[in-house]
Amino acid sequence: MSGAATSTAALKEALVGDREAEFVWLCNFEAEHEWAQGFPGLPAAQGAAAAPVVQRMEQLGSLLSDPGDHLLLGAPLDPGHRRHLEEAGLTPAQEILVDGADTARAVLGSPSVLRRLRELADRGAHLMPMGMSRSIAEIAAATGLKPAAPDAATARRVNSKIYSRAVVDELGLRAVPGRSCTTADGLRSALLSDTAEDPPVIVKDAYGVSGKGLLVVDSRKRAEGLVRMVERRAARTGDPAVHVVVERFLPKRFDLNYQFTIDRAGRTRLDFVKQALTSGGVHQGHLVPAGLSCAHIEEIGRAAELLGGRLHADGFFGAVGVDALLGEDGLLYPVLEINARLNMSSYQSRVMERFHRPGSMALAKHYTLRPRRPVGFAELTEALDGLAVPPADGRGALIACFGTLNAHGPEQGGSARPAEGRLYTVLFAPDGGRLAELDRRFAERLGRLTDQEAAR
Amino acid sequence: MTREEITAAITDALGTVLEREVPEATEETRLFDELHLDSTSVLELLMALEDATGIEVDPEDIDMDDFATVGTLASYLESRGPARSAAEHA
Repeated sequence: MSGAATSTAALKEALVGDREAEFVWLCNFEAEHEWAQGFPGLPAAQGAAAAPVVQRMEQLGSLLSDPGDHLLLGAPLDPGHRRHLEEAGLTPAQEILVDGADTARAVLGSPSVLRRLRELADRGAHLMPMGMSRSIAEIAAATGLKPAAPDAATARRVNSKIYSRAVVDELGLRAVPGRSCTTADGLRSALLSDTAEDPPVIVKDAYGVSGKGLLVVDSRKRAEGLVRMVERRAARTGDPAVHVVVERFLPKRFDLNYQFTIDRAGRTRLDFVKQALTSGGVHQGHLVPAGLSCAHIEEIGRAAELLGGRLHADGFFGAVGVDALLGEDGLLYPVLEINARLNMSSYQSRVMERFHRPGSMALAKHYTLRPRRPVGFAELTEALDGLAVPPADGRGALIACFGTLNAHGPEQGGSARPAEGRLYTVLFAPDGGRLAELDRRFAERLGRLTDQEAAR
Repeated sequence: MTREEITAAITDALGTVLEREVPEATEETRLFDELHLDSTSVLELLMALEDATGIEVDPEDIDMDDFATVGTLASYLESRGPARSAAEHA
């Protein structure tokens, strides 16, 4: 067994008991939207369709999949990017393409793809989603593929932030001061009663995704405005439901993300701990090593063990990402929220294990660009001028996801203002200074590319 | 409120939400593409506008198209009728 495949093999063993199982990956980022249905949170504007960039993030699955696996995608991997991954020793799975803005629904609408999946099911292949959802369950039922995940109802239950808070209380872990609300009256009490936390507080949807459904309430006036808005909705719809958590806004040293995997028998293994880079509650990237003391790492290990047991008792198995926080006072808050699904950091597992060296540093991050027209992979690497070469000796950079850069397609050049794309990368350097320098050079060269594009 | 006052209130609210001055904003300025407003900030923007204009806007009643530019948002707010005094909300 090569070192590069260890984390994926370990995941397969935990999920289906076979390190060499054949997986069909569908990194369904829309699962969280499905889980949120029926659980209204903060008032939100309508009509915000899932961005093409989010659908293209499914290509991150190529980083985890084995060459003998299969990857369901709405658009093919760029051949240049595929070669880049192959040169890095991360040969992606075979692609199965569908046509549609929602890959899971498009699979269900394609007789030829369903036929292909039935053939794979006959060989004993498993269906591996980012998170279990009704769409994934429908694909499993329609094809005979065995899901490598618990049922959708379980996945939904354990992914609620209200569930996270309840489990933290039950297990006696250090909780962020706050409370859960399910009604407008509950929200009024949490924000405006005598026992309410003083502002600033943060209000988060029970099922919020990457910074969406999140509001910092920094004054009583703002709290009153929010309560008014929620009560107006309740009066208008006749439904007082609002599923949110209200938590004290804690001063922090930094955010954390760790992952553990629960196998089908309930054994829990801590996979990694990373520093999480966020801006306004929106994920920006991860830094390794996390910069924690041994005592904090041990505390996270104990939390993971307790959480794993609790989630398994509720019927869950699989990868679990947890967002945590190291307070300014040095206290560890081991659970801000539980994400019982593949996380952004999960996709880096094989990359980290292959290229990160003890004593060196790694930064996984995305750059936001507005290319005037689709940028080819060769054009990108030329602009990066030698920066995107497969890492060696703990130095270098890997392009982790390229399809997200051109997600809007050729029409992005038609408007006065090009659409936004993202380039996902993992950077490696011997120390923090050189990592920051590599990041700066990356940003500068990518910016130059955009300027060149804009000038054309 | 006049159209100009509403537009000024939008510019002020954008400055608060984006935590920077936006003196360059005109009616044609695109909120998402040019000012990098994101969906996370929409609720915060509407609450700041309600504070400033007294116009109640429920996010569920507004379409993302109304957020295209400063001008489309101003038109939407105008369509909600005359601004009410903030005291009515107190």
